[in-house]
Amino acid sequence: MASAPTAASVPPPELALALSGVTLALGGRPVLAGIDLVVRQGQFVALVGASGAGKSSLLRLINRMLEPDAGTVAVHGADVAGLDAMQLRRGIGYAVQGGGLFPHWTVADNIAAVPWLLGWPKPKRMERAAELMAMLELPPHLAQRFPGELSGGQASRVGLARALAVSPRLLLLDEPFGALDPETRDELGDRLLALHRAQGLTTIMVTHDLADALLRADLMVVLDGGRVVACGPPADVAADPHPAVQNLVATPLAQARALAGMAR
Amino acid sequence: MIAGWETLPSALAAHLAISAAALALALLVATPLVLLMPGRPWLRRTVMGLASVVQTVPALALLALFFPLLVLLRNLTGLPVPSLGLLPSLLALALYALLPLLRGGAGGLAAVPDSVRDAARAIGMSASQRLFHVELSLAAPVVMGGVRTAAVWTIGAATLATMVGQESLGDLIFAGLQLQDWQQVLLGCVAAAALALIVDGALGWCQRGIAERRWAPAAKGLVLLVLLAAGVTGWWLQSRPATQVRPVLIGTKTFSEQYILAELIAADLRAAGQPTGVRSGLGSGIAFQSLAAGGIDISIDYTGTLWTQALGRSDVVPRADMLRILTEQLKSRYGVTVAARLGFENAYALAMRRADAERLGVRSISDLARVSAKLKLATDLEFLSRAEWTAMRSSYGLEFASMRAFTPVLMVAALKDGAADVITAYSSDGALAGADIVLLTDDRGALPAYDALLLVAPGRDDLARRLARYDGRISVDAMRIANWQADRPTNKRSPAEAARWLATETGLQR
Repeated sequence: MASAPTAASVPPPELALALSGVTLALGGRPVLAGIDLVVRQGQFVALVGASGAGKSSLLRLINRMLEPDAGTVAVHGADVAGLDAMQLRRGIGYAVQGGGLFPHWTVADNIAAVPWLLGWPKPKRMERAAELMAMLELPPHLAQRFPGELSGGQASRVGLARALAVSPRLLLLDEPFGALDPETRDELGDRLLALHRAQGLTTIMVTHDLADALLRADLMVVLDGGRVVACGPPADVAADPHPAVQNLVATPLAQARALAGMAR
Repeated sequence: MIAGWETLPSALAAHLAISAAALALALLVATPLVLLMPGRPWLRRTVMGLASVVQTVPALALLALFFPLLVLLRNLTGLPVPSLGLLPSLLALALYALLPLLRGGAGGLAAVPDSVRDAARAIGMSASQRLFHVELSLAAPVVMGGVRTAAVWTIGAATLATMVGQESLGDLIFAGLQLQDWQQVLLGCVAAAALALIVDGALGWCQRGIAERRWAPAAKGLVLLVLLAAGVTGWWLQSRPATQVRPVLIGTKTFSEQYILAELIAADLRAAGQPTGVRSGLGSGIAFQSLAAGGIDISIDYTGTLWTQALGRSDVVPRADMLRILTEQLKSRYGVTVAARLGFENAYALAMRRADAERLGVRSISDLARVSAKLKLATDLEFLSRAEWTAMRSSYGLEFASMRAFTPVLMVAALKDGAADVITAYSSDGALAGADIVLLTDDRGALPAYDALLLVAPGRDDLARRLARYDGRISVDAMRIANWQADRPTNKRSPAEAARWLATETGLQR
């Protein structure tokens, strides 16, 4: 596990994210218990764990969709508790399963939502939307369509484009490709990784797709019962004997070995 | 020209105005409630429960309930709260419009997907941006559906506002119903239905525009609404007499005699250059309350009715004493002046088919009491809850095989076709001119006298002086014939025509 700063110290700014002693209960039920986590700028982090392990809650603490009961969350060296929540959220990219698009806004307006919030003039917003559509390989004629007319893959791309609209340094993704077919998911995963590298992003992605996590992440964080039980490069984590980790990785690794055997 | 045509512009304008005002008030109440509902299930349950309960109360009862409620409020606070006309109509109709508005609003907001709410928050929208640009925008088609339903209900229910003294298209419907002037009923109904259809259509366009996020249909809907309001207002202004002075208002209850006498006096006053209007179709107690409050200036009422309803007395005193006491006490308690005793009586009476009466040997109510247990009684809508019925029953020991309430105009028909054997009737009823119905005498004097009086509102002694010449001028025979002219099934005359006949017959006008 990466070394955690003490609560009193100010994390150095090259740290994109630093959680220290974060505890959270929702509706009286403990969700996270003493989370310490450090993410350096440029890292691609996969947050994995069984359902109910606290992955999404951890993500939502970062942009203050949730507030911790104890501990601190620092983004780029600044304690988020001292930042304006709306300004913070506008500066952090966020995408969810299915895109979470506004059904009554066009694709272009959805993509340019944060620029709109920041008061960009309309031509500049539309120009930016077109740029992002090209970047995510969305055909330009979709710009004036509504989300209801898109395929699942297209909606996910629009959600991703919306998250990237004002070139944030930090990207939070909550199972962004969760409901897609494996082929589309893999293709989008590659596209995301390329964008992540090209733009120097820091990406925190909650995923159930262990192969995705193992193959693409720089840092893999395994949550179990509201605690971090393993954290490190995917190869090291896969070898971790902790039962919660082995429960997660056993199946995909066995499948990979079987597939490798067939390929030979 | 159809009777009621000349009052249509004014009734239509009043109808549209009261409906729009009630809807606006309901929106004003419903909007904050709906916006507070998300995250407060207790509020949602309470408010929706209350609104549903209100909806189970018939609209007419709801309107009627506001009258005593506002009287109580006036007595408790001492403030001059009007209990008739605009205020009770506005409150009752607004209350009635709440449920569809709340359902539409709450339903629309509840249907916004959580993932969309979540995304709006996560990209950094403020609470008000989320509300207006996401939640309300998405809920708008359903919300507009609620507004449409509420608008149609309100326009329909506003016809009932007539009963509490608010001008509306109900004036035509109730007057027409009473006079059995089906064209006038139809005119009122068609106008109300047309109003509802146009408003529904216009709001439908607005709804479509919102749902499809296109300006054109929404603008079309708004333009139609503006045109409707402008057209109705314009027609009303153009049809209105040029004078700006508030006309003298004559209030009538819901039967022909009242309409005829109101037209008689109105024509008289107009001939003398006094602008005069008729507020028709008031409930029996409401006409007097309205007069006492100055909402109308002149009404025609009856000694026996005033005795029980205005003075709250149930004893029976000689006719001359009753008139004297009423004249004194109406003045001292309500400021109302008895301007004239018209000269005829419209007493409650019981009537039977002549053939039955002869076969059974019934001439008086005492005779009737011997055989009544085998007979079916039909009454008007209020008789069974009036003190007169209590007095009559205890004095004579009357029991009937069955008792049913009918609309007054249908009672004679009920008697003729055998649906009833005995009916309540009024001694001046024109239908009694027919030879096959007999009135039974009140041989024990159980019922008070019902001398017709002209009453004038407080502070209108000028009118009282002008109306004094009506004293003793109208006989029961003349009144009965005039009533028959308006009530008879064929060759029917309008109240104004019957009034002209009556004026000539009695020598009141030449």
